[in-house]
Amino acid sequence: MEPEQKKSKKIMHGGRNLVILGVVSTVLAVMTTGVSLAIYHNSGDIYLDRSRPGYLPDEEEIENEEENEVEEYSFEKSGKLTAEILAEYLERLQAEIKAIDAYEQPFDESALSDERLGIPVVEPDSPEE
Amino acid sequence: MKKKGLAFCCATVLMLCQCFVSSVGAITDEQSAAIKDHCETIRENLKRVQKEDSRVRVYLGGYYETILSKFIVPLNVRLVENNLSSAGLVENQNKFAAVKADFADDFVKYQRELEELVGMDCKEKPADFYDKLTAVRQRRQVMVKDVQRMRSLISGHVQLVESLKGEL
Repeated sequence: MEPEQKKSKKIMHGGRNLVILGVVSTVLAVMTTGVSLAIYHNSGDIYLDRSRPGYLPDEEEIENEEENEVEEYSFEKSGKLTAEILAEYLERLQAEIKAIDAYEQPFDESALSDERLGIPVVEPDSPEE
Repeated sequence: MKKKGLAFCCATVLMLCQCFVSSVGAITDEQSAAIKDHCETIRENLKRVQKEDSRVRVYLGGYYETILSKFIVPLNVRLVENNLSSAGLVENQNKFAAVKADFADDFVKYQRELEELVGMDCKEKPADFYDKLTAVRQRRQVMVKDVQRMRSLISGHVQLVESLKGEL
């Protein structure tokens, strides 16, 4: 075979290999992304992800969060234990409890009631006298 | 003869039960028409509930995690170190961790059902849509109970710490 022919064949092969590499990389990327998304969905993490479109916190919420920010605290695992230390512990704990209690009736049943959703409410039949 | 009579009674009771169950989930023509007419509005309302619930779950879950990992667990470790271990506080910690896990699992189950409901075609199948809505409501009731159980465990923990403080 002529040296020039050999050279052009090598270039052709190189181009083909490059295409194969591109296709394989794309297939691998699609597969791994698919697996990641399946894990993300099946683990339930998707429901905690508030960076999803439509779930982003609004400005008012961000402002409230900044205003109500509680000072970072963690009870020491070691050291003497006195009534004063426990009093401080309870005081700090009350701040967390107050934040929880700020959510009045979380997962309130009325949010999914017929009335709130715009479905006519059917009154149960009154017993005949 | 007695056996026949007993079988007849059982069959009648079974039929009555089936009638009752089907009438509980059934929707009226008026409701069906309303679901069809306001399908988009209902779905928008459901999406709003989905968003709000997600927010509440994230915040409450965060507070529960803080209470467990930064308060309850370190306190129990310190109590052991000081030879003051309290069986009540340890039991409370175990229950708290278990209910916290239930809260997280139940929320995922609830959100899955809600997601399915939002994706349903309420214009074509209003009765199926309403049945699913009933199932979602039941899941939501479980969430309410989980939140109440968590709050009750927190109160129990506070009481136990108060009494421990009195003993020191």
